Amino acid sequence: MNLFFLAALCYSIGIITLLFPHRWQKGAHYTASLAAIFGSALTAYGAGLILFDFVQTESLRWGSYSLTGDKWSAAFLLLTGCAGVITSIYGAGYALSYLGKRLRMLGALWNLFLGSMVFVILAGDAFSFLFFWEVMAVASFLLVNHEAEKRVTWNAAYQYLVMTHIGTAAIMIAFLLTGTHSSSFAFADMANNTLADGMRSVVFVAAFIGFALKAGLVPLHVWLPNAHPAAPSHVSALMSGVMLKIALYGFGRFVFSFVPVWNYWWCILVMLAGLISAFLGVLYAQMETDIKRILAYSSVENMGIIFAAFGCGMLLQVTAGNNWGTIGFMAALVHCYNHSVIKVLMFMSAGSIMHATGSKNLELFGGLLKKLPYTGAFCFVGCMALAALPLTNGFIGEWMTLQSFITLASTSYGQDIRLWSSVAFILLGLTGALALGCFVRFFGIAFLGRARSIQAQEAHEADRFMLLAMGISTVLVLTVGIYPAPLLTMLGRVLPADTAVYMPGIADVLQSGGELLLAYGNMLLLFAVLTVLCFVVVVHMTQKRYVSSSITWNCGTEPTARQQYSATGFSKPLRRAFDYLLKPKREVSYVRKDHPYFGRLLSYKLEIPDMITEKLYLPLQKYFVVSSAFLRRLQQGSVRLYVSYVMAAMIAVLIWGAIYK
Amino acid sequence: MEFLVVTLMFIVFLQTRIMDLKRGIFCLSVQSALIAAACLVVGMSHGGGWHAFLPGVLTIAVKVIFIPYAILKVVRQLSDEKEIASDINVNYSTAAAACFLALSYVVLDSLLPGSQGRDIVASSMFMIMTGLTLIVMRSRAIMQMIGLITMENGIYLLGLIMTEGLPLIIELGIFLDVLIAVVILVILTSRLRLSFKTTDTNVLRKLKG
Repeated sequence: MNLFFLAALCYSIGIITLLFPHRWQKGAHYTASLAAIFGSALTAYGAGLILFDFVQTESLRWGSYSLTGDKWSAAFLLLTGCAGVITSIYGAGYALSYLGKRLRMLGALWNLFLGSMVFVILAGDAFSFLFFWEVMAVASFLLVNHEAEKRVTWNAAYQYLVMTHIGTAAIMIAFLLTGTHSSSFAFADMANNTLADGMRSVVFVAAFIGFALKAGLVPLHVWLPNAHPAAPSHVSALMSGVMLKIALYGFGRFVFSFVPVWNYWWCILVMLAGLISAFLGVLYAQMETDIKRILAYSSVENMGIIFAAFGCGMLLQVTAGNNWGTIGFMAALVHCYNHSVIKVLMFMSAGSIMHATGSKNLELFGGLLKKLPYTGAFCFVGCMALAALPLTNGFIGEWMTLQSFITLASTSYGQDIRLWSSVAFILLGLTGALALGCFVRFFGIAFLGRARSIQAQEAHEADRFMLLAMGISTVLVLTVGIYPAPLLTMLGRVLPADTAVYMPGIADVLQSGGELLLAYGNMLLLFAVLTVLCFVVVVHMTQKRYVSSSITWNCGTEPTARQQYSATGFSKPLRRAFDYLLKPKREVSYVRKDHPYFGRLLSYKLEIPDMITEKLYLPLQKYFVVSSAFLRRLQQGSVRLYVSYVMAAMIAVLIWGAIYK
Repeated sequence: MEFLVVTLMFIVFLQTRIMDLKRGIFCLSVQSALIAAACLVVGMSHGGGWHAFLPGVLTIAVKVIFIPYAILKVVRQLSDEKEIASDINVNYSTAAAACFLALSYVVLDSLLPGSQGRDIVASSMFMIMTGLTLIVMRSRAIMQMIGLITMENGIYLLGLIMTEGLPLIIELGIFLDVLIAVVILVILTSRLRLSFKTTDTNVLRKLKG
């Protein structure tokens, strides 16, 4: 626990840099970045000690407040620490573009955000959890709102604030209901609660709504695609890479400890919410042209996959027994780690692209690979990982998710579970295919072909801090992707001790499912390496050029950049196929038409409204505005009216007292 | 004592019917004088000593002389006041006061049946509620101040009868509070007149914040 306090000390030093004079803002920035790096490294180290049993589960207690670090929290602390180090290194370079624009504020809030996330995970009672949860929400709100001069940013930040408070309210309901049926609000006591069955369902649904909102599951995801593009890139990286995962931490804590016996429909609820988020998230990602919105929707997709795996684990635990559920939980945890690293990498690449071109519109890029060779390479690995291709860690997580659904199908005893698992296969398959298309489009349009704008032609490579951070995460993506066993064994240590049910150990479960712990057999790996080696040797030995370069044949005319596939054009077939879901609004009109066949100027406007916003939130908003007009009559600014309320209350109390004395 | 209380109730009834500011202040002064008299009577029944009379004397000094004088001074400045709206018919406030008088007797008989000084407690409850009614039903700031002092008199009377005389230090504290409240209100009323050319609180309707 001392290590975590040391980390907190580092973060506080980072926060104190806010008080540096304006002249030293660069110094303040580097101090804050260094503090964040050290703090996060200490957090990761401390978490590693707990995870590998060098230190027993620790807890500290002051009165009714306590901090506890067990293995479930250690897993997420490690994730926070690693992602914190990487994004802080990146931030050291990236945030310099905010020089003179509240840079010290950015550094201080960054440290506050990291610190609050560490202590949310460490919190050992409901009050501390909610306190740090709120600090985290407010810090991230202020970070999103950093470019508050822009109206879009401002809107997004306030939408985020409102949504996250709805989530906090739901979590608070869950905690208070559980806490009032326990001897105290400490997590250890809340585990022995005496909730009745109906009440437990209420608590579970409240907790699920609260944590799903933070995780960005459909239909509670509306804040996410707006908040991420508004925030500075390293902030979006941290929000998407870590903050969304903390929602899973909280949900896991709740489900494992406080309501350890699960109803059948709860599992279906979690699983379906996850699957639908995964599918809709990636579908909307495919339609977007703002690179950060694409990544934000991809976060919705991946959080969906994580929750689907988690729900599958719960379902396995309930129906199959024998601790089969471990495989689902393991898949969720592994994908959590993987998605965290990938999303951090991708948001950092997006940040580099924005830094280089000053734009986040995919339609303006093209040919960036020549200008940004390193960023391009890192981004390529990230795109592969998000498309869940082999050799990257994205594949491992989704593979394990699929495995858990296969286990669900093979151990099912009832027709309904077989039906659910086939629904899951359909949606997961669609998700995987769409994700592949989405990231082919992302990389292809941005990095290949020819530049579509002057900004893209004059792009420049990112600085060394940014490259270093991206490099580290690329190495992580590839290492885990090629040799996942260490990560899996490490995370396997998390589940047995801390879930309320006894588990014989992850290796046994996976093996009794007929699978190896390694996603690739050693022989397969050797074979792949040999094949590639042979190919390289053959190419070099034969001295024969397989590639000749010339201009693309274009019916005799010189091809221009505007004849390339555009991002909107690339996703057209999908827009047609999913017309009934997306309901795109197209508007084609002639700006100039001198002649029926040539000399025409067309304007084409395409808008894809978020269906959930249109169908759910706008009517809700309308209802609130109308009902507020009614409430306005009660509070209309007349002091006399307010005094008369006091008077009415007093007389009511007197009469009530006289009747029921 | 009973005679005092009945007179007091009558005065408070009269208060609800007055719309003229100067007459209202005079009425308030008389009302406070009655409270002071009640205070002196209670002090006498406790058998003398100078600090048995001090609250009564203070009431006379603060509520009978100083506060009406201060409010009158503001009223004199209001000669050029722009009239905005006529107040709600005075009959409503009198009718409300009558209802409250009945209500306070009913509530009292139900809450504390057979208590001593039934009339005094009932009249103090009546004064509190009538004071509130005055604040709610009058829109001019001076009239609302009169309502506040009426309410305060009611609370003071209730304290007097319930505790048979409060400790001296608390009495002094209460007087200081009332004094400060009135000073602030007088200043606010002057500012209101300067800013809006009227003391009608209906102009203060814009919600801030």
